[in-house]
Amino acid sequence: MNIFHEMYSTYFRISSEVLKLPNITEKNIHQIIDKYGFRDSVLFLPQKLIPQNDGSDWGLLKRNSDGKLVSVIKNKPVEILTEIQKRWLKSKLDDPKIKLFLENDTLVSLKKHLENVKPFYSREHFRYTDQFNDGDNFSDELYQKNFRKILMAVKSQEILEITFFSGNGKKISGKYIPLKIQYSAKNDRFRLFCFSLKDGEIFHSGVINIGRIEQVCNTSEHHEKNISTNEYFQKRKCREPVTVCISDERNATERFFMEFAPYEKSTLSDSDNGKCVVKIWYDYQEETELLIRLLSFGPVIEILSPPEFRRQAKKRITRQYDLLNKNRRQ
Amino acid sequence: MGGFSELIKNFDKTRDYIRDFFIYGFKVRNDFDRKSLRTYDDEKRRIESWFGDYVKYDRSERGQKVSINVDSGSISENPLYQAYRSKSFTDNDIKLHFFIIDVLYNGETLTLKEIIEETDKNYNQIFDVQTIRNKLKEYVQEGIVITEKKGKTAYFRLSTDRVNECLHNYEGLTDAVKFFSETQEFGIVGNSILESARLKNDLFVMKHNYIVHTLEDIIIPEIISAIEQKKYISLISFKVNKANNFGYIVPMKIFSSLQTGRRYIVGYIPTINCFHSFRLDFIRTIKTGNICEKYDIIYEKFSQDLNYCFGVSFSSGKIETTVITFCIDEKHEKFVIDRLKREKGNGVLEKTDDNLFRLTVKACDSFAVMQWVKSFTGRIVSVTGDNKQAIKRFYSDINKMYNMYGGGEK
Repeated sequence: MNIFHEMYSTYFRISSEVLKLPNITEKNIHQIIDKYGFRDSVLFLPQKLIPQNDGSDWGLLKRNSDGKLVSVIKNKPVEILTEIQKRWLKSKLDDPKIKLFLENDTLVSLKKHLENVKPFYSREHFRYTDQFNDGDNFSDELYQKNFRKILMAVKSQEILEITFFSGNGKKISGKYIPLKIQYSAKNDRFRLFCFSLKDGEIFHSGVINIGRIEQVCNTSEHHEKNISTNEYFQKRKCREPVTVCISDERNATERFFMEFAPYEKSTLSDSDNGKCVVKIWYDYQEETELLIRLLSFGPVIEILSPPEFRRQAKKRITRQYDLLNKNRRQ
Repeated sequence: MGGFSELIKNFDKTRDYIRDFFIYGFKVRNDFDRKSLRTYDDEKRRIESWFGDYVKYDRSERGQKVSINVDSGSISENPLYQAYRSKSFTDNDIKLHFFIIDVLYNGETLTLKEIIEETDKNYNQIFDVQTIRNKLKEYVQEGIVITEKKGKTAYFRLSTDRVNECLHNYEGLTDAVKFFSETQEFGIVGNSILESARLKNDLFVMKHNYIVHTLEDIIIPEIISAIEQKKYISLISFKVNKANNFGYIVPMKIFSSLQTGRRYIVGYIPTINCFHSFRLDFIRTIKTGNICEKYDIIYEKFSQDLNYCFGVSFSSGKIETTVITFCIDEKHEKFVIDRLKREKGNGVLEKTDDNLFRLTVKACDSFAVMQWVKSFTGRIVSVTGDNKQAIKRFYSDINKMYNMYGGGEK
């Protein structure tokens, strides 16, 4: 039992799609390969699907006397839930977050369906070393109710009226277009990515912690404009990337590229002295998080620009230097 | 095309290459020291073919740098899952996949002989008996086909668990699969369910999303299996010369750092009588050994040591104390106090004076503590503790950073 198995492969999927076609033509085959294949699949797949005179194709299609392509199998291919998939589902039923999606009776019913299936893993097998200890309470009924309302609205892009508490404890109410739900394993929290509305117009790209929501109300309203998630992410992107110089001491380059793997980056230069200059793009509302992560690397990373970002780093370091020296003198 | 194929037989080699392309966006062709440059060209082409728009090219004095560049906080699907969809196969594999499912489609329960006859009759293709027998055996293991014996004869039928029906019958399950397909712990399996149902995750995005972890999912099932069976394992490294020198280890848990992006297998090394964490991305394969008779005793000791594990470091038994005093404006910076509380691990936080807080951490590795402490730069009044070297480095680092940023200059 292995997830790296050909039955989950792109080529099997394309073949299955072709065999499901009511009218199979060479043009359709190429379209399906274009849609589902890898970039170069079109160079390899057509000749394996379309019958060849030398018999080098897979024999899944044949040509009728009128030259039309037809499937050799009688029924349309079906997708079976495999053992590994069932075992994975069974493991997920033990995750507290499953209750955000399944009502209790559905959960009981699914557990019964999978009662003879061995879980793929247990949560005990894993430990998150730096997960925060104040994550959302997924078993809270209000939380579950709010989450489900939001989830439905993300699908339909229905405008919601949400009342929540900001990070500073301020109560805020307003109308929002929900776009995506973000989960952070580190925070163990869900947040809603949304556009806030003012007088019916998109006003701001916002983030709301679902755990801080007091009330969610449906409005049955939809915004007239076609809402793009890409537009949302573009609006949140920093105007100018942060440029850092990484020295090769203490394995810093490797550590940096691992830790900052989730960020969009560009490597500018890598001179022979082992130093490496990298530009990092980030969500401008998470600038402080980026700053403190960079500072935690110590002197093996230097923030070069933008000047304001470097100034913030300098301010913190100067304050730190002064604090330590003041304490030493005492 | 000269023998090039988009498909691969072994995941190991490709894992190593993808990791290099993804993590080290600064490597050029000559930096890849494995085998020939021709191998590099093939791997590069495969990666371009799988990952398309995510492949980025930068020019440098040393040559063209190819990287997989993703803002993983804004994507709906981990692009590295493509690598799992590239398994090579034989012509018989793909033929028999569709033929066996077709022959058993209507719920028939057939013997091997009957399946061979049907295959011959329906598709005019003759297969070796052993080939079909092996494929049926494989599909029984994979859960596609169910087998039962009547007397001495084995009968085969198609599993009735259809992906679409299952997702449809349990309300909310599709959304749950969409969510879990992008989380750690084998998200690729959830993604394969969505693929089978021709669905995509269009609801969720992930923060602190280390997409490269999926490449390690290939070796974790064997580790989990060894943990469940309380067996020894041997770790085979990618670097031939740096093969695990510890012989067999006793696996305890998979550790995942959401800060550094690294995952480890933590195990007990009998030869040196201590726990140690091994990077999963450095491990090519796992070899399972015999049952460890003392597993439960070792696991109990491990559970005790976990209380003093800050990050992933274990030591040879010595617990070090580090005391850090922070200066935090209680009125305006409550969020910093909250951050300390949620990130301090086993540390004890006390208020010692107005705007002054003392954190006492007992841990195996003070360097790991200090790495975290540095993320509070600007608020640390003093650091004292057992590990003088770690503390000395902290003070020295602050001095270096002060000079680096033009200390004292306005």
